Amino acid sequence: MTLNLGNGLAVLKNFLWRGKENQVPFSDLFVWFQDILKKNNAAMELIADMGGKMGGEFIFDQKYLSDNVKKLQELVRSSAYDLNYITDNQYLEIYGVIEDLAKRLEIELSGKMVISGTKRIYDLGEIEDGMEDLVGYKAYNLSRALNLSELNIPDSFAVTVGGFRDYMAYNNLFEKIEAAIEECRNEQRSVESVSNSIRIMILAGEIPPVLRRQILAAAERISNGKLGSCYFATRSSGVGEDGDLSFAGLHDSFLNVQFDELLSNYKKVLASLYNQASLEYRLRMNILSLEMAMPVLYQKMIKSHLSGVLFTLDPNRPERPESLLSGSWGLGKAVVEGEEGVDTFRISRSPPYPILEQQISSKPHMPTPPEKGPSQKATGAPNAEPCLTSKEISSIMDVGLILERYFKRPLDVEWSMDQAGQLWILQARQINMPRPKRMQHTELKGATEGHRVVLKDRGMIAYRGIGAGRVWLVEDDQDLNHFPRGGVLVSHFAPPWLAKAIPRAGAIITDVGAVTGHMATVAREFRVPTIVGAEAATQLLAANQEVTVDTERNIVYEGIIEELIRHQLLDVPSFEMTREFQLLRRLLKKISPLSLTDPDDPGFTPKGCQTFHDVMRFVHEKAFRALAQAGKDPRSFLRRGGKRLKSHLPLDLVLIDIGGGVAEGGSKGIYVDPDQITSLPMKAIWQGLSSPNAWSTEPIPVDFKGLMSSLTRTQRAEVLGNALPSVNLAVLGSNYVNLSLPLGYHFTAVDAAIGSSPENNNISFRFVGGVTDITRRSRRATLLANILEEAGFKVKMNGDLVIARAINLSEEQMMNQLVLIGKLIGFARQLDVLLKNDEDVGYYFQKFREQSAKPVEK
Amino acid sequence: MEKTTVCILDDEAIVGDRLKPELEDDGYEVEVFTDSASALDRVDETCFDIFITDLKMEGVDGMGFLERVKEKCPESEVIVITGYATMETARESLIKGAYDFIAKPFRIGEIRTAVKKAKKKVRRRHQA
Repeated sequence: MTLNLGNGLAVLKNFLWRGKENQVPFSDLFVWFQDILKKNNAAMELIADMGGKMGGEFIFDQKYLSDNVKKLQELVRSSAYDLNYITDNQYLEIYGVIEDLAKRLEIELSGKMVISGTKRIYDLGEIEDGMEDLVGYKAYNLSRALNLSELNIPDSFAVTVGGFRDYMAYNNLFEKIEAAIEECRNEQRSVESVSNSIRIMILAGEIPPVLRRQILAAAERISNGKLGSCYFATRSSGVGEDGDLSFAGLHDSFLNVQFDELLSNYKKVLASLYNQASLEYRLRMNILSLEMAMPVLYQKMIKSHLSGVLFTLDPNRPERPESLLSGSWGLGKAVVEGEEGVDTFRISRSPPYPILEQQISSKPHMPTPPEKGPSQKATGAPNAEPCLTSKEISSIMDVGLILERYFKRPLDVEWSMDQAGQLWILQARQINMPRPKRMQHTELKGATEGHRVVLKDRGMIAYRGIGAGRVWLVEDDQDLNHFPRGGVLVSHFAPPWLAKAIPRAGAIITDVGAVTGHMATVAREFRVPTIVGAEAATQLLAANQEVTVDTERNIVYEGIIEELIRHQLLDVPSFEMTREFQLLRRLLKKISPLSLTDPDDPGFTPKGCQTFHDVMRFVHEKAFRALAQAGKDPRSFLRRGGKRLKSHLPLDLVLIDIGGGVAEGGSKGIYVDPDQITSLPMKAIWQGLSSPNAWSTEPIPVDFKGLMSSLTRTQRAEVLGNALPSVNLAVLGSNYVNLSLPLGYHFTAVDAAIGSSPENNNISFRFVGGVTDITRRSRRATLLANILEEAGFKVKMNGDLVIARAINLSEEQMMNQLVLIGKLIGFARQLDVLLKNDEDVGYYFQKFREQSAKPVEK
Repeated sequence: MEKTTVCILDDEAIVGDRLKPELEDDGYEVEVFTDSASALDRVDETCFDIFITDLKMEGVDGMGFLERVKEKCPESEVIVITGYATMETARESLIKGAYDFIAKPFRIGEIRTAVKKAKKKVRRRHQA
C-alpha cells in the first residue's frame, strides 16, 4: 500500500515538475555526474582486476569471483539509478537490461550452463567457451582454433545435443533403446544384435520438421548459395569424444555428402552412436544410455589435393622432440583408416623441420576433386615419390605447432591441402597419452643446467606457460610484417598494434606495460606466455638469440630447452582446465567486452548493452549529455557558474568545474586563465592545443570543389553530436576531462580520466564530420586514424567517423597522449579542405609527425 | 637431506590443486586437505614443517586450526591465507603465532617466497 502511495506521489511530482526548466539543479548535476564517474572508475578497476587473473599467475577461488560480480552489480545498478535521477527517468529500460545481465552472471556462478533453450544449430563462430558438452568436442575444438586467425578452417556448423534429444523424443526412441540396452546388460541378447536393432530404429526415424529446416538452412548458408556444387563432411562430434574418454574413430563420419544426403547422413551419424564397438566400449565403461548424446558437425568439403594427419608428438616416444606426419593424395580417408598409399614422415620439431625418417609407399590413388565424385581411380599416377615437399611439410608443422601451443597439449591434427596449396585444418584433438611421472624437482633443475639465465624475476607475468624461439626485437609496426612463427616477440612498449603478431608468437616480453593492458589481454586470449614490464628486456636480449621463456617461474634462459617445453606439454596440469578459471572466462565474456563505442549509432541504447561494460559506457555518455544539454548556449552555462577560458585561440571554450578542475581563486569573474586549470588531463590537452605549431590560424585556401560542397552541405551539421548544444564545452574534474568541440562542421569529443593506477586511466577520442564531400572527409578520418594508431591508440573508423581508445596507460603516457590529441585537434581543424587526393594523406601524416616532434615553445 | 613437508588446508579445492604442483616443483613434499577435521587427524599422526591454512571454514576454522597446530607442533610454521583480509584478522593470527598472512587472491610467487622463508626458519630451528 505504501508502495502504491509512493508511486502515486512520484507520478504527481513528475507531473508538477514537467516543463520546468530543471528538475535537478545544475549544481546538483555536477555532484551526481561526479558520482557516476567514480562508480565508472571503480567498475573499470574491478573488470581490469578480473582480467588480470586470466594469466594464471594468481590463485583465486569461487568467492573472489562471486564477490567481484556482486560488487560490480551494485556499481552498475546504482549508476543507472544516478542516471535516471538526473535525466528525469529517461532510461528506465536500463534496469531490465541490467537485471537480465545480472541474472545470467548469477546462473554462471551457480554452475548451470547458460544456453539458449531452443537453439539447435551453431555456426563455428557462434560457439562460446564452455559449450563443449553442447556441440561436442570436435566442433568445440575447431571453434576454439578459430581464434587463431591465420588458420584456415572450413565453414562448418554443429547440430547440438539438443538436436539429438529432439530427434530421439520425436521418434519415441528413448524408452525403446533403454529397453534394448537392458536386454544387453542382462545378457539376454548379444551386443551385436542389440546394436543392429537400435541402429535400425534410429535410421527409420524422422527428423523433426523444425530441425530439418534448420539443418538445410545452415547448409545453404555455408554453401554460399552454391548448393549444387557444395559437398559436406558429416562428422560425429560426440560428447566425451576426443575429450576425456577416447571414442576416437568409434563413430562414423562421412565425406563427400551432397545436399540431398544431408538429412539421411544426420541419421547415419546418430546411429553410429550405437554401433557395436561403441556400445561395447560404453557398456564396459558403464556410461548410461541416457547420458549418451551425439552432436553432429557439418563441414564444407575442401577440394583436397593432399590430406593427412599430424601427431605433434609421437605417442610412443613422447620424450623425443619429434612429430609424426602422414599424408596421401586425395581426401585423407586413406590415412585415417590406415589404407594403402600413405607416406609417413618422422620430423624434427625445430624449424626448418628436417625429415629424420620417411616411409614412402606407392600410391594407387590420384587427387580426387569432390565435384568429380568420390574415389576416382588414378590415371597415370606418379608413384613412389613422396606426396609432400619439404615446403609443404614445414607449413603443416608450423600450423600444427601453433595449434599445440594454443591447446597446450600434444595434438592429433587432421589436415588437408587444396589444389591452390592452401592448408586447411579439419580436426584437432588431444592425443591421449599415458601421463609420464611428473618430472621431479631435481630433473627440472638438471634440464635447465648449463643454460645461462638471461632474465629472472623481472616484470609481471601476463600469461603463464613456456615458450621458446628466436628473439625478434620490435621497434615499429613495420618490423612485424616479417615476424616469424614461433618467434619470441621482444618490444620496449606494449602498443595495441603488437596484437597482430601475437597469434604467431612463441612468447612475448616487453620492457613496459601492464598485466591489464590491451596487449596482455590479447596475449591471454591466444595463450602466449608473456612477461610485461621487464624493464631491460630489449637491452638484455639480442636479436636472433635463441631463448626459452619460462613464465611459470619468470626466468628466461639462453638456448632452447626441449625438456622444459615437453614438461609443460605433458605433465603440467593446465590452470585453464580448472573450474574457477573457466568460470572466470565465461563471466568476463558477459562483463568485459565493449560493443557500444559510437554514441551516435542507432544501437547505442539500453537494449544495445550486451555487457556490464556497455552499461557503464552508456550511463557515462548519457549522464555527460544531460550535463551538456543543461544549457543552450555559452551564456546559459555562464549564468550557472560556467567560466570562459581566456585564450588567443579562436575557440570560445566554456569550462564547467565539477571539482578540482580550476585553481581556487582562479575563477573570479567569468574568465579563467589557461594556467589556472588544475585538471590534469585538460592541462595536457591544452598544452597540445595551444602549442604554436598546432593551431594554424591562417585562412586556408578553399578550392572550388571544396567550396561548393561546403556551401551546399548543411544537413550533417545537425546530425553531429546528436543535438548537443553548439557550445565548446569542457567538463573538468581534477583528474577528469570531457571536452566536446562542435567546431564548425565537425565534432570532436575527448573523454579522459587519470586515476590512482593505470587500470583507472583511459582516453576516448571521437571525431566526425567536416565541411567537404565524404571522400575528403574520409581522407581526413584516415589521416587521423593513421596518426592515432601510430601513437598506440586502438582505432575504429567508419566513413568520416574516427573512434580511438587507449586504456591502462601510465600517468606519463596519458599526459603525452593527451598533448598529442590537443595538437591533433588543432591540426585536423581544416584538413579535409586540404586533402585533395589520397597521396595528401601521406604528406600530411609526415607533416604532423614533423610538427609534433618540434619542441613546444614556452 | 629430507624434503621439507607442507600441509595445505583450504575448503576451496582449487587452492590446493594449484599450489601442490607448484610447491612440488620447488622440491617440497605436499599434502592437501579440504576439511579441517581430516587435516587435524593427520596432524595427530605427524607434524608438517609448514602449514598453509585458510581462515574461514566449516567446523574448526583457520584460527582454531592455527591454535591446535601451534600447540601440537610448536616447531612448525603456519602461513594464513584468507579472502576476508582485515587488519583485525591479520593481527589476531599473527598474535596466535602465524608466520605470515596472505590475502586471497594471491600471486603464486608470493606464496612461494613466503614458504621459502618459512622453510629457512624451520631449518635454522632444527639446526639449533
